[in-house]
Amino acid sequence: MEIRNLSVEDLQALMRLEREVFAAEAWSESGMLSEITAAHSYYIGAVEGELVGYAGLRISPLDHSADVQTIAVAQQARGSGLGRRLMEQLLAKAKSAGSEQVFLEVKSSNDVAISLYKSLGFEQIDVRKRYYQPSGEDALVMRLKIRQPIVLGIESTCDETGVGIVQGNRLLANALNSSMDLHAKYGGVVPEVAARAHLEAIGPTLDAALDEAGISLDSVDAISVANGPGLAGALMVGIGAAKGLAVATGKPIYAVNHLVGHVGADVLERGSVELPTIALLVSGGHTSLLLVRDLLDDVELLGETIDDAAGEAFDKVARVLDLPYPGGPQIDKLATEGNPSAIRFPRGLTLPKDLERNKYNFSFSGLKTAVARHVEKHQDAGEEFNAADVAASFREAVVDVLLTKALWACEEFGVPRLLLGGGVVANARLREEAERRCAERGVELRIPRFSLCTDNGAMIAALGSQLVMAGREPSAISFGAESTLPVTVVQTP
Amino acid sequence: MLISIDTSAGTSVAIFDGPSLLSFVSFEDPFGHAENIGSAIEAALAEAGITRQELSAVAVGRGPAPYTGLRVGIAAAQLLARSLSLPLNGVMVLDAIAFGKSGKILVTTDAKRKELFAAWYEDGKRTGGPEVISPDRLADFPEFEQLAVSADAAMVGSFAVAAASSGIDLGQTDAIYLRSPDVTPSKGKRVSG
Repeated sequence: MEIRNLSVEDLQALMRLEREVFAAEAWSESGMLSEITAAHSYYIGAVEGELVGYAGLRISPLDHSADVQTIAVAQQARGSGLGRRLMEQLLAKAKSAGSEQVFLEVKSSNDVAISLYKSLGFEQIDVRKRYYQPSGEDALVMRLKIRQPIVLGIESTCDETGVGIVQGNRLLANALNSSMDLHAKYGGVVPEVAARAHLEAIGPTLDAALDEAGISLDSVDAISVANGPGLAGALMVGIGAAKGLAVATGKPIYAVNHLVGHVGADVLERGSVELPTIALLVSGGHTSLLLVRDLLDDVELLGETIDDAAGEAFDKVARVLDLPYPGGPQIDKLATEGNPSAIRFPRGLTLPKDLERNKYNFSFSGLKTAVARHVEKHQDAGEEFNAADVAASFREAVVDVLLTKALWACEEFGVPRLLLGGGVVANARLREEAERRCAERGVELRIPRFSLCTDNGAMIAALGSQLVMAGREPSAISFGAESTLPVTVVQTP
Repeated sequence: MLISIDTSAGTSVAIFDGPSLLSFVSFEDPFGHAENIGSAIEAALAEAGITRQELSAVAVGRGPAPYTGLRVGIAAAQLLARSLSLPLNGVMVLDAIAFGKSGKILVTTDAKRKELFAAWYEDGKRTGGPEVISPDRLADFPEFEQLAVSADAAMVGSFAVAAASSGIDLGQTDAIYLRSPDVTPSKGKRVSG
């Protein structure tokens, strides 16, 4: 016997069995169709020649709960434990989706089913009088509580030392120490300075996270750590710390991809990441465009920057304009007083000749040079120039090229969803323009709260938690820092 | 029981019961610290035949060392100590190398960039260093026996055990770099000629 996911093609077979088992109380065909095609619904069927049983689950990500919608076993297949197998598979799905409680209703007279549910850990919590029509029979409401794993995640890929704690898809703590101020006098992140700061910050950040979550290390079920991509020396501090922690506590350790962590952060906002999605991750270290079909198994890099990251371009242009580091907020502020159309700065890799090989890649180095030339030309001529116009026009060029390419990807791959992540999401113009363009094209836009967009430990914990809930094996203790880890490697084995 | 961790050169871990060394595990790969640290700790515990709950103290080599690997051992030791609520003892590794030697000793380790980390000792007491010296300065120590070896967890652990019994404070556990980060603030370059 095979148990598989059901689709619209199984509708007729489903209806035959539905009518056979539930007779007068059977769902209508249109009701069944909307059930099996609904978002977050999961229908499985047992097939032996024909459909002999099915069961359906509806997950409510925001409530961290799930409902068993139906379960039916054909007369001739009863007594073989099929009902239990179907239920177990639904519960495994609920568990991996982060559900903390699973509810179901059962006829008060159905002793066989009630005893099955009890044996699976369900408890009766309520009675719904005359719930079933037309028979008028009562329903017992039963609930299974699932204890989701607590995962502690460590982030140290660049200049933020983060320790986050999640339980299932729920955020418990997100402690952060940034070394940004130490890099200010250098105008950019200095790897050795960042690595030194991580070592000083990691212990206090761990304490702060445990304190915020109100738990002790004993209740943590697994450790996750970002092992790339990022600065090698910085990554190694987080890895050393995570391994010390794992060995000291005897907990399993998961080495996860930092960039995929940015995508996974959205589970902490709404209990799931809606997939498939295009993800645009823009920070001082990355400018990456991803197509995510499955968070754990199918992440594709569509393109990335071939020179400077977008955030780096902001820092460099800020320096040209004599603004302090980090440049993003400074330029954003100055740009509000400027005219974004004053100067037409170049949009890198958007010419027809670029589209074949670099449609989804980015280049900001030419833009930065163009801004510097513009400023130098005026300075050399002893002319005044309008810095606010330069800032606004530069910002407009960056935002334009980022969103143009992201939305090209949505269109080409038929994905009506765009998720933004990374520190550059703080840019007001990027958010505003993303909202406008996405609304115009019917693309759903997701921007997690800012503390989950910048580098943070919670997103690393969240991705670790997805792996644990899906029953994945931990990483071997011998993994290392992978400064150029590809996005296709969600977990280092 | 004390667990000693050192990543100032290779990656090594040792377990001590009082002054006696129960186990010593060493990976010499000078670039594999992040990879090896977890296995080294697990293997040292297994070889000593003890569980992590039997540990009562942690010691760690603070450097000086030129590699980014130094921080791996310190980070692991810090979180190991924190998770098990154990005291952490920081050992300056040149002290550990000189430990138990009498007479005039000059300890040097490779600081890269054609320089040396050095500290000097007279009858077991450090009289100078640690500092970064150029090899030319070795001539300034004619009466000293030069010990040019790298540290490991066995040396660090022995030193920590002895220090504990003689009341020496090893409470400082941050990394010893002896060099500033190799960077100067950028002035920004002109792009047009």
